[in-house]
Amino acid sequence: MVRLSGREISTEVIESCRSGDRDAFRALYDLYKDRVYSIAIYFFHGDAAVASDVTQQVFLKLMTTIHQFRGEAEFSTWLYRLVVNACLDAARSRKPDFSLHDRARMETLAAPGSQEEDYARAQLASSVRAAVSALPPKFRIAVLLRYFDDLSYDQMAKALNCSMGTVASRLSRGHKILAERMKAVRGTQV
Amino acid sequence: MFTRHVSRQLAAHLDGQLAPSKARQVELHLQQCPRCRAERDEISRGMAMAEHLPSVEAPAAIWSSLERAFPGNPSRQVSAPPRWRWAFAAALMVVLAGSAYWRFVRAPGLQWEVTRVDGAPSVGTKAIRGAGHIGAGEWIETDARSRATIQVGQIGSVEVAPNTRLRVVATRPDEHRLTLARGEIRATISAPPRLFFVDTASGTAVDLGCEYTLTSDETGAGLLRVLRGWVSFERQGLESLVPAGASCPTRGPGIPYFDDAPEELKRAVDAFGVTKTLDDPLNIILSESRARDTLTLFHLLSRVDGSDRARVFDRMAALTPVPAGVSREQALRLDPETLERWKDTLLLTW
Repeated sequence: MVRLSGREISTEVIESCRSGDRDAFRALYDLYKDRVYSIAIYFFHGDAAVASDVTQQVFLKLMTTIHQFRGEAEFSTWLYRLVVNACLDAARSRKPDFSLHDRARMETLAAPGSQEEDYARAQLASSVRAAVSALPPKFRIAVLLRYFDDLSYDQMAKALNCSMGTVASRLSRGHKILAERMKAVRGTQV
Repeated sequence: MFTRHVSRQLAAHLDGQLAPSKARQVELHLQQCPRCRAERDEISRGMAMAEHLPSVEAPAAIWSSLERAFPGNPSRQVSAPPRWRWAFAAALMVVLAGSAYWRFVRAPGLQWEVTRVDGAPSVGTKAIRGAGHIGAGEWIETDARSRATIQVGQIGSVEVAPNTRLRVVATRPDEHRLTLARGEIRATISAPPRLFFVDTASGTAVDLGCEYTLTSDETGAGLLRVLRGWVSFERQGLESLVPAGASCPTRGPGIPYFDDAPEELKRAVDAFGVTKTLDDPLNIILSESRARDTLTLFHLLSRVDGSDRARVFDRMAALTPVPAGVSREQALRLDPETLERWKDTLLLTW
C-alpha cells in the first residue's frame, strides 16, 4: 500500500498509471486537477494561461516520471513537490512578480459558481485573492499548499524542500502579512 | 520566566502542529507576552481571511492536451483489468475518511458535541441530523432555516443562529477558540476569564465570565451585546471593556455604549470613525451622555486626540467627580496608571 498523508491509496492505481492506463491516469488527474490549478492560478495572480501551462506541466511530468515513484515518499508530497517546482520555475522566467495589471485581474477573477451573496462579500473575496497573490512567493506557496490540500507541516516541508520550522515561520509571516493587508484594505473602505 | 518571543511558531501553534511540550511552552509565553498574543490574533485573522479563497476548476482543455501527449496503446487500456477502478473508488472513500481522521488527529484538543436545534446545520460537508461532533479546524455552517448548539468543553455552550459560518480553532482546556466568519452566535460561558475567545475579521471577543451575543459579517462589521458579566473586545492593541447591558460595534474604533443610552448617542457611536454621514458624532455623544455613559466617554478618550480628548475629559468630569489621583494633564497624556485608577472608580457606576 502507498501511504497518502495518513490516508491509503491502492498501489493498483499507481501501478495502472505506470503501465500506461489512460483511465487510471484520468482518475488521478480528476482527483488533483482543481487543487493543482487553484494553487497555480492564485500563485500567478489570476493568470489562467500560465496556470493552465503549469498544471499541464505538472501532470505531464507526473505521467512521464510516475514509473520512478516507488512509494518511499508519500504520493501527495511527491505531487506537490512537482507543483512547487513548476510554480517557482515559471515564476523565475516571469518578472516582475506582481504588476498592477495582475492586481486588477486578480480582483476581478470570478469565483466559479460564486456563492457570494452580496457586494461586500464579493469585495472581500476579491481582496483576499489579491492580498494572497501579492504575498512574497515563498510565503504565498506555503499559504496556498495549506489551503488546497490537507497537508501536515511535515509534508509541506518535504514538498517545499525546507524544514518544518521554516514552514511554520513562512505560514506565520504569510498570514500576518495577509491580515495586515486586509486591515489596510478594510481601512480604505471605511 | 519570560522566554523568547514565539512569532515563528504561532501558525504551527494555531494549527495544532507543535509537539505537546513545545505547545505548552508557547502557551506559557503567550500568557505573559501581549506582543505575541496580538501577533497570534493577527495570524488567526489571516488564516480566517484565507478561508475565503475558493477552489478554481481546471479548464477542460488541460486534459485534452494531456490526452494527446499520452504514451500508450489504446487497446491495452481497454483490456486492462478493471480492478483498479474498485480500488480507486475504495481509495476515494478512504481518502475522505482519512481526511476527516487527519483533521481529528491534528486537532490540538478534544471534539465538542454539536446538537441540531432546527433545520440541517452541517459540520464540514456532513449534515447534523441529531447530534454530532466538531473538532479544531472544522467549520459549522447553518442556512436560513437551521440552528445548532455547540457544547464548549466543560465551560459552556454556543448557540449558532441561522446563516452563520463558524470555525472551531482550538479546543484545549486552556484555550477554547472560535472564528466567526459570518452570522450570529450566543455564548454562555462559566469559566475563569480569558479561556474562551471568538475571532472575527475585525477583532477578538474575550470572555471574562459571561453571556453574550456576537454578530459579524465577512468584513468584520457587527455587534457584541453582553447579557451577563463582562466581555473584552480586543483589536490592534485597543481593548473595549463591555459590561452587561451594553453593546459594542465590532468595526470602527470599538466604543461600547449601554443599550438604554439615548438613541441619538447610540447612532453617533455607530457612526463615529466609520461613516461621515453625521456632521459631528462627537458633539452628539458629548451632549447626549448621562453619568452612566462615562462607559462610552472613557473608551473615547484613547480614540481621539488633541482638543477632542480635552472635550471628552471635561464632559466626564462634569458628569462624575474625578477621583483623587487622577489629574487632567495625566489623563490627557493617557497615562496608563491614571486611566486604570479612573476606570476602577467608574466601574462602580457601569
